[in-house]
Amino acid sequence: MSKATLDGKAITLDDACKEAARILSGAKFPLVAGLGADVPGGRAAILLAERLRGAFDHMASRDLLVDLDVKRSFGMFTTTANEARLRADVVVLVGPGLTKQWPGMLERLALDQAPRHGSHAGTPRKVIWLGPDASEVGAIAGATVIPASLQEIPFVLGVWRARVGGRPVNPEKIDAAKLERVDGLAETLKNAKFGCFVWAAAAGLDALTVEMMQALVTDLNVTTRFTGVHIGGRAGASGVTQAAGWMTGFPPRTGFGRGYPEHDPWRFEASRLVDSGEADAALWISAFDGEAPGWSRADIPLITLAPAGAAPARGLFIEVGQPGVTHDAVLMAQETGGLTLRAATARSDAPTVAEVIDAIMANVSEVAPC
Amino acid sequence: MKPFTFTLRQEPPQRVDLSALTPDRLAGKSLAEIEKIEIGATRASTKVGDVFQLAEGDLKNVRYEGGSARFDLVGAKLLPEFSIHVEGDVGLQVGRLAKGGKITISGSAGAYAASGNEGAHIEIKGNVGEMLAAPLAGELAGMSGGRVVVRGKAGARAGDRLRRGILIIEGDAGDDLGSRLIAGTIVALGATSGRVGYLNKRGSLVLAKRPEIGSTYVDCGAHAFTFARLFSRALKADSEAAAAVLSGKLQRYGGDTAVYGKGEILTPV
Repeated sequence: MSKATLDGKAITLDDACKEAARILSGAKFPLVAGLGADVPGGRAAILLAERLRGAFDHMASRDLLVDLDVKRSFGMFTTTANEARLRADVVVLVGPGLTKQWPGMLERLALDQAPRHGSHAGTPRKVIWLGPDASEVGAIAGATVIPASLQEIPFVLGVWRARVGGRPVNPEKIDAAKLERVDGLAETLKNAKFGCFVWAAAAGLDALTVEMMQALVTDLNVTTRFTGVHIGGRAGASGVTQAAGWMTGFPPRTGFGRGYPEHDPWRFEASRLVDSGEADAALWISAFDGEAPGWSRADIPLITLAPAGAAPARGLFIEVGQPGVTHDAVLMAQETGGLTLRAATARSDAPTVAEVIDAIMANVSEVAPC
Repeated sequence: MKPFTFTLRQEPPQRVDLSALTPDRLAGKSLAEIEKIEIGATRASTKVGDVFQLAEGDLKNVRYEGGSARFDLVGAKLLPEFSIHVEGDVGLQVGRLAKGGKITISGSAGAYAASGNEGAHIEIKGNVGEMLAAPLAGELAGMSGGRVVVRGKAGARAGDRLRRGILIIEGDAGDDLGSRLIAGTIVALGATSGRVGYLNKRGSLVLAKRPEIGSTYVDCGAHAFTFARLFSRALKADSEAAAAVLSGKLQRYGGDTAVYGKGEILTPV
């Protein structure tokens, strides 16, 4: 049986949902944040935010908006991991900790095997890793490792792009020996039959860095095929973003204050909304691992939906199951780049995020006050 | 004639959208009608009369007595020949998509100030937040005309995707000044940090203090540019110090060569 607590004291699930509805309905500008949920959970949360005329944000918004900002203000070449596995003859991994962002990456991309399709099928794959962390340096046999800190990566990509285009670089920063190595790498990129960058914004890359990388991909596509595989954010970020897109036309950091969706990544950033006092009640959803909110204020009414054991000391807590663990869940799969059903691995009777939010919603009146 | 004045009664309970309070949109409305204009952006209603006390005056000049970091979109889409003065701070997107006119802020401005400005002269006496003159999420280009003078500091990525027009930052600039510049000119008198002029297409960055020059900017030598001296005279009325930087010999660094290499960083020799 699912557990619910109010300031640490047990209450029934039914009372908890009623109390949650009371808190959220009474707020002037409620926030639905975290959104660590499967697609039905995210969908229910966004519907609730709309009914309440509040705002919603995902805990991995920073990372998902890095990629989305490049996509919508510059453009982006992407493909699926499977396509890269089958066709890529040159793979460039960018940034540290990719194997932590996507534990199945090396197995799925099969970088130690040759590509199977295209005129280059069977020729050994060239793998380059720019700026891996210490534990990843030897992770791929035969890979060329180019050490670079997170601060250096944007400059390295800029130098690559300049040299791919045959333009000069600053000789005080890039000496003759370095230039020769860069030019060799630029040749490798230009001679690729099907090249592919792999990156994760969550590794610490920002939008300018990703834009430089994608601009390099664009330049390379003048004469060959080049594309990218991006590793999505944590806590179901990719799936929830898809749901937000088809429901509102916008990604997370969208508000319904005026009765229609408005997207503003600055205004509807969850931590800022809480810390500035603009949001006066929050529903925090973190069903995967119970990650706590990042804001610092502790004086607004808080409702937490998280797995067992992740109850905060304060506020209303409703236990939910973990998507794909305690219940079957629809999630965006990094492996295929599509929505998939993940069967439960340790089924329990803990309710899903969607079930709890639907129960809360049943207690929120159709026409919100004010 | 006295300006049309909005006097702040109290800090608004939520962010307010003041885009409706430009001279052209107030014209022909009575005080009572103006007091009823909805400026809230949440389900709790906030009306002009809740936040401001109004005093009728010449609508060509609107004046705010008292500001707030929650005042968003002050002077949005302002038209030529009108002016707005705020005695205090403003929030997001002051002068957003302004076609012309003059906006002066005695305090500080929030993020995305002068975003998409098309021709207004905007002066901010205090500091500005990040993304000065930048495009909003999903837009392709930032400010496309006009002039912005910031007497204090600017936040990160000032001048992002600037397309045309002039930015003068008298204080320090945050990280990544002039990122993704398309064209136009930025003059910065204070310190700069981060990736200055990253992804610059053909914009000009004039920096009083020489930054660490990135690996995709190439030294083109010291020059006495005739145009810089002419340009310097045009800046005098807005900033004597900015004009002084451009009046002498300048070291030119061409870049960002990752893009075309048609932009530049100019610093005094």
